[in-house]
Amino acid sequence: MTNVEKLKDLVVEVFLIDPSEFHLDLRREQVETWDSLGVVSLAVGVEETFGCHFTQEEALGLKSVGDVITVLEHHGISFREV
Amino acid sequence: MISEVLRAQPILIDGAPDGIRALRSHWEAGETFAYIPAKSPVSSSWVARCLSYLPEEYRNGHFCLLTSGSTGTPKLVVGRKERSERLSTVLHQVQQSEPVQETIVSLPLTYCYAFVNQWLWSHVMGRRLIATPGFGQPDVVLGALQNAVDAMLCLVGPQAALLEQMFGEKSFPGIIRLHFAGSRFPQERIPLLRKMFPNATIFNNYGCAEAMPRLTLRAADDGDDARDIGLPLPGVQLKSSESGDLLFLSDYRCVAQIDAAGFRAIADEEWVPSGDLAQQRDDSHWQLLGRRGEVFKRYGEKIAVPQILATVNEHWKGQVAYYRDEDGAGEDGYVLVLCPIPAEDDVRLLLRALRTSHPRSHWPLRIESTASLPLLANGKVNGLALRDIEGKSLHWRQRI
Repeated sequence: MTNVEKLKDLVVEVFLIDPSEFHLDLRREQVETWDSLGVVSLAVGVEETFGCHFTQEEALGLKSVGDVITVLEHHGISFREV
Repeated sequence: MISEVLRAQPILIDGAPDGIRALRSHWEAGETFAYIPAKSPVSSSWVARCLSYLPEEYRNGHFCLLTSGSTGTPKLVVGRKERSERLSTVLHQVQQSEPVQETIVSLPLTYCYAFVNQWLWSHVMGRRLIATPGFGQPDVVLGALQNAVDAMLCLVGPQAALLEQMFGEKSFPGIIRLHFAGSRFPQERIPLLRKMFPNATIFNNYGCAEAMPRLTLRAADDGDDARDIGLPLPGVQLKSSESGDLLFLSDYRCVAQIDAAGFRAIADEEWVPSGDLAQQRDDSHWQLLGRRGEVFKRYGEKIAVPQILATVNEHWKGQVAYYRDEDGAGEDGYVLVLCPIPAEDDVRLLLRALRTSHPRSHWPLRIESTASLPLLANGKVNGLALRDIEGKSLHWRQRI
């Protein structure tokens, strides 16, 4: 499973969106369930899935799937398959 | 003599040989007795000790049933025989039971609802009591249903799903009254129940052990909301407290409670909590809002689990139960347990419904499933055992 696929599964699970709704440009305002608890869930999920701990600042700054990828790459997780 | 003052009150054990006859003779005899399930969370010596707390004026003319339910502390509720006989007469009238010639028992008779609604009613009204060992032996229940003649059947909500699974394609025209009590009314299964019991009038009964046991009645036809418990019976008054607790006064309720801490009489003018939260609607019907403990705050939002279960029941045709748990932040939450094990698509559908109908804080902490739910002897789901079921499947979780 690629990192994109892992991230897709996580986003689908955390925000309860349909898999078809996922895309790499998905933004917070497009997902009504991307709320404060959702951000916490996403950060926990990232840690569990990628073994990478987001700081509070990083977690609160997540406004899109692109942001998640950017922060993960900053932590050395490669999304070169993107 | 001390031995006379502390004479032992009789303890009857459900399922004992000749149990129904013994029950009848102890009811007719003056002496107060306790009627206890064969499989009980307490020992006979615990019951005997509780009975020893009975004041002299309660040692005749009463009976004691054990209640603990899924929530916890066992206690004996003390009923007055005369009151309960009066209730059976009232029930006979309001349930229009005159045509009913027999009642089929699939619940333990030690369960207050079955005891008064079925055994005592049959005793007072001189109707047949058809005892079965319950759904653990479905062939026996099936035989009783097939041979029923102008019969009344009393069930608890979760048994509706069992009926559907076991006999859903059969029809039982001999049942003319079908009662549900003890947990959520299976409103969504009414169309199927009508097919299975084409001649039955179906009722939602509401009450609690302290009410001994009945408080309200609603015909299934008289509403379409599972939480609608209808109107109080004659002789019953209901009100809700400022915090939403449903309180009652009743001409038929228990007169005392006994537990390890001792005996406590309940005064006639004392409003007793039923354990549920409820409100009265504009049409005077009472509507349940959840169990005390089923409504709690999570991240500042008030969560009423029964409302969420209503959504779940719209999209999941199996059984559903839940238990309370905390998330990683120590916030209160709950875990849904589905039965039987759902297909992946079913879970996805359910999650989509939760997302559409409820904010995230209302979602369960986890969705689990099991091949069979643990049940208490009275047919209700054993909420205390849900957490520790072995081999549960995990389908989804909030990562908090």
